[in-house]
Amino acid sequence: MCRKLEKARSVLHTAGDIEVGQTPCEILHETRAYRLLHYQQMVSKTDKTPILVVYALINKSYVLDLQPDKSWVRSLLSQGFDVYLLDWKTPTTADKYVSFDDYVNEYLNDCVDIVLKKTKTDKLTLHGYCMGASMSVMYTTLYQEKVRNLAVIAPVIDAEKDTTVIGNLAKNMDVNKMLYVIGNLPVEQLYSCYSVLKPFKQGVNKYFNLVQNIDNDQFVGNFLRIEKWLYDTPPIAGETFRQWILDIYQKNLLVKNEFKLGDELIDLTKIKVPLLNIVADEDHLVSQQCSAPLNDMVSSTDKRLMRFHTGHVGLIASLYSQNNVLPKVGQWLKARSQ
Amino acid sequence: MYNFWAEVLKMPTIGPMYAFSKDLGAYANDFMNLGKIMCELKIRNDNYWALVNAAYARAIKDTAERAPKQFLTKDDFENYRRAAIEAFEDVFTDLFSSSEFSAAYGNLFSAQLDFSRALQGIAEKNLKVLNMPTRGEVDEMLKDIHELKKNVRELKKSIEMIKNDRSRSATT
Repeated sequence: MCRKLEKARSVLHTAGDIEVGQTPCEILHETRAYRLLHYQQMVSKTDKTPILVVYALINKSYVLDLQPDKSWVRSLLSQGFDVYLLDWKTPTTADKYVSFDDYVNEYLNDCVDIVLKKTKTDKLTLHGYCMGASMSVMYTTLYQEKVRNLAVIAPVIDAEKDTTVIGNLAKNMDVNKMLYVIGNLPVEQLYSCYSVLKPFKQGVNKYFNLVQNIDNDQFVGNFLRIEKWLYDTPPIAGETFRQWILDIYQKNLLVKNEFKLGDELIDLTKIKVPLLNIVADEDHLVSQQCSAPLNDMVSSTDKRLMRFHTGHVGLIASLYSQNNVLPKVGQWLKARSQ
Repeated sequence: MYNFWAEVLKMPTIGPMYAFSKDLGAYANDFMNLGKIMCELKIRNDNYWALVNAAYARAIKDTAERAPKQFLTKDDFENYRRAAIEAFEDVFTDLFSSSEFSAAYGNLFSAQLDFSRALQGIAEKNLKVLNMPTRGEVDEMLKDIHELKKNVRELKKSIEMIKNDRSRSATT
């Protein structure tokens, strides 16, 4: 037991060195706010409709390419899709007033235009995860002519129906005061939010499991990659976080079709493109009750809600995801790609 | 005697003590305000930890009820660990999902921000002598820069639209 404890202690110190995001890619475009990555094709013939994956503003995007056998990106590539990823950079104090208007109308829109120009197509598949899914939905209401399909994973849509601890904590946060006093949401505040999510099953028990399985290299590798991702958290731009909590969680404006990006109203009923909404019934970060209403809000005739028996991260970075989620997602996308 | 000193304090001063006496009232107010904020922070902190401690006590009680009553084999210890994890998880998840905790957490967060804001105000006043831009001034600059970037974006969009319209009308 002492040997295992000592080995676990030394292994945890190496979590930062473990390799993640190893699928080969090139940086197509880079600004102060983001990098647009283009992944190297894995098959000789790919579908004409490119996929632009829009990651969230919380933690880092390499969770979508954590390791070769659990990589969401790699699976899409092996199914013959042309995959691009919008990888957000760390906001600085100068980005205090960057809002969803900037993220959607400038950064995301620029990336869409770059992808369309590179692939010489006029529409792409927008594929967002979590907050990135909400941004993809906002984008589609305004720029639908550039979107062939909208495939979203765990979007935050109807926050009033959210049953998670995160949704509960958000109800009473004074984000106006936060923006004024400290600007960007600091990393420490995010960690304190994480600490209340499954505090003992994930916060404590996982370390017991690590010690018990310390001699299993595969287990340890998987553990360290997730651990690295969990604690690799950038701050969130102040105004963006203020809108996220006040407008989307507290006032629930997105589902009421009253959320504004700059001067433009986001009206979900305007969405007519094919919609795939992927939710997890054990999601403790964005409950399925919060995500599922999107299908009732849009005007799309071709729409599908896929529910899976897993959690928020399990939905995109697990063997379950590889074996159960991705084949169905790939099938749906293939049927609607050129 | 008190009235005599009250009158002395009201007298105008000269030389190096002038600046100090001029701002003394403001400094005194700042520190009194800080004291009030610290009291409020302590109350809200105590409320927060009262909830957490109550949950902890409930979790300990639940663990005792669910745990095995004897510790003879390795499995008994393993079952105790499982019972403890489940009991703590259930109790604390109930706590963190409650409206009471949400209010306490929100109030504590707000009080912490009030405390930071008060300290920032005092620091800003005392560092005026360094002749550096204040936080408020930098904030205004950030707002202006952000607004300018937005305007440039709008202008670029308009120019792009005009160029497209012109090339379309040139081809027709």
